[in-house]
Amino acid sequence: MSVHEGAPPGAVAKYDELQRSILRGELVGLVAGTIMALGAVIAISLALTDVRNEFGLRADFAYNYAGVQQVDFVKYLARQGKQPAQPSAEALQAYSEWVAKNPKTVNVQVLNKYLGEKYNETANVFTYMAAYFTPGVGQSCEYCHNLQNFAAYEKPQKTVAKAMLIMQFELQKKWVNTIPRPEGQPLYHIKCATCHNGQAKFWNTSLKASNPELFGIAGGGNPTPYDMRNVGITLNGVTPSSYEVVDDQYLAARQDADGNINFYQVTANKDTPAGLNATYRNQYAMYHQNTALGVGCDFCHYGGYFKSYVTADGTFKWPKTQARHMQAMMQDIAINWFPQMPSVENPNQLQNYYAQPNCYMCHRGYVVPPGAYSFNEPFVPGVVSDIKPLVDLPLLKPILPNQ
Amino acid sequence: MATEVYREPFERRTKTVRYLKFLEGLADTQIGPIYLGMWGALAFFSYLLCVFITLIGWGEQVGWNPIRFLRELPVLTLYPPPPSYGLQIAPLREGGYWQLATLFLTLTLVFWTIRIWTRATANRLRPMVPIAFSAALFLYAAIYIIHPIWMNSWNEAPGHGLAAILLWTNHFSVKYGNFYYNPFHMVSIFGLLGSTLLLAMHGATILATLAYNSHREVDEIESSDEGTHRAQLLWRWVMGFNATAHSIHVWALGFATLTAVAGAIGVLTSGPFEPNWYLWGCRAGITPGIQASCPPVP
Repeated sequence: MSVHEGAPPGAVAKYDELQRSILRGELVGLVAGTIMALGAVIAISLALTDVRNEFGLRADFAYNYAGVQQVDFVKYLARQGKQPAQPSAEALQAYSEWVAKNPKTVNVQVLNKYLGEKYNETANVFTYMAAYFTPGVGQSCEYCHNLQNFAAYEKPQKTVAKAMLIMQFELQKKWVNTIPRPEGQPLYHIKCATCHNGQAKFWNTSLKASNPELFGIAGGGNPTPYDMRNVGITLNGVTPSSYEVVDDQYLAARQDADGNINFYQVTANKDTPAGLNATYRNQYAMYHQNTALGVGCDFCHYGGYFKSYVTADGTFKWPKTQARHMQAMMQDIAINWFPQMPSVENPNQLQNYYAQPNCYMCHRGYVVPPGAYSFNEPFVPGVVSDIKPLVDLPLLKPILPNQ
Repeated sequence: MATEVYREPFERRTKTVRYLKFLEGLADTQIGPIYLGMWGALAFFSYLLCVFITLIGWGEQVGWNPIRFLRELPVLTLYPPPPSYGLQIAPLREGGYWQLATLFLTLTLVFWTIRIWTRATANRLRPMVPIAFSAALFLYAAIYIIHPIWMNSWNEAPGHGLAAILLWTNHFSVKYGNFYYNPFHMVSIFGLLGSTLLLAMHGATILATLAYNSHREVDEIESSDEGTHRAQLLWRWVMGFNATAHSIHVWALGFATLTAVAGAIGVLTSGPFEPNWYLWGCRAGITPGIQASCPPVP
């Protein structure tokens, strides 16, 4: 017996036809909607590609034979609408008078100690200064020098620059020259531009407050949208303590007694503390490195097991061991160098407003920092002048492929 | 109208029935009667409290600024207490909000399950729906309650927020090696993909038989040479065998519950029984390639 018994004549057929017409409409709509959605996705992707190219968000890098991106510093500046700075005409005039009077340097203390006797010639010092200092910090000679007496320490900027130069060579000597690397991979040099990128003041806390996306939580903390602080997650103005963010005063990358950076080893074992906060922190530090170097996770990691230094087929992940080395350098900068940089306002005082270093500070979205140079002059290690590291951080025991 | 013929027996029971004609293409347009009852009321108010507490926590985080609230909604999160609190009750702003919200969320789900159970039995139905819902409840309990208790830290549980559950998924996988190598996760994915496949096959089959009055299920099953017979013939032609109108639903329920139950077992075994699923994969010999990434066997 049908449940429709007693229905008005024709009602069942009318209801059936209604259902069928709805289905036909749905099918047509489904197909049309799918085609339109696919079209929209393609159109938006193409548009975004254009936008990225338009605003220079695409890296125009070349790969060297070791597979490392290289970015041209001049192009990098051009993309921000800048040109590398040149010594001013006034400064060049003053220099020509100075070099005529003093063909040998008067008071050069750092370059000649790290790069050799060659830098006891004023002309060679000028060449170095014009090649690296001026474009690096975006300032002409008079920013630091008294043009009437280049040897004088009248301007505090010169004192700061000297301390920075010592730091540059010490970091080069201790960390960059010792980075574990595959045979054939070129070694780059830290110069002023590596961190400064054409700006004299670029990494202090007041800038940080106005450009949080550039800084993030220092020391392996997080830049960019992933940073919980940068997206403004606070409780009454204070970051919730249940999310134990990396404090600016401390670095994410901490060494244990064996020189291992255990902070990044979050995979559980019997010694891993309960809770996921360490994992959260680790992941934010990793996202920081993603964006700071413009790479995906598998640039350093084997996707199947992030803890491993080799992939399933035995390929050694050099970038992972290199990143570990660089994190230790970052720690060195934060602990030993930034805290003893003299203040520009008063060179007898220490800077107290620097922001902590992080990967983005130099890398700016590229594997090789745009301001890193290939520099072929011999390096004379071991002569340190005014400032020394506060703490003698041990070099990491490098993790190398099994022979 | 034929539609009214269908609904007459129900209409006699209640006067609260409404019809939403504009939804005709989407579903049955009858709204109501709805039954509240004690368990429904408890579930409702418990859920209200959970939402209220969550909103308070989120509101405090954005300084009660509605614009910031909307802007940051995707990442706003009530975090569980930090590991230092273990399983203790934490101050409100250090995870106490999360504990309260989770308590009421759990109560809501339990009350809701009981509510489905009582309504099913009151309607003289077998309690298959509450049983199916319990599978999801088990997965919830495993993630939010049982696993954190076994690990002695509420910090192991996900926060409450849109991004939070995605982050937890990633971080939980990272912490326990690699969840893709968790065999229970594999089974859970099998259930997930299997149930979507079954759902698609079933839904398409029913829609395919619309011309044979499959929207009038009872009639159609009773008559020969109607939709069901043709649909079953279709699958015999395609696969060599077919489900029955009964067994297809058993399959669907089985696969769907398998997803949640296997997932829950996968969560529960992570930590106390296997801290690192990748290493387990190495031992089990299921890692790809020549396994250079596996630690050497001692």
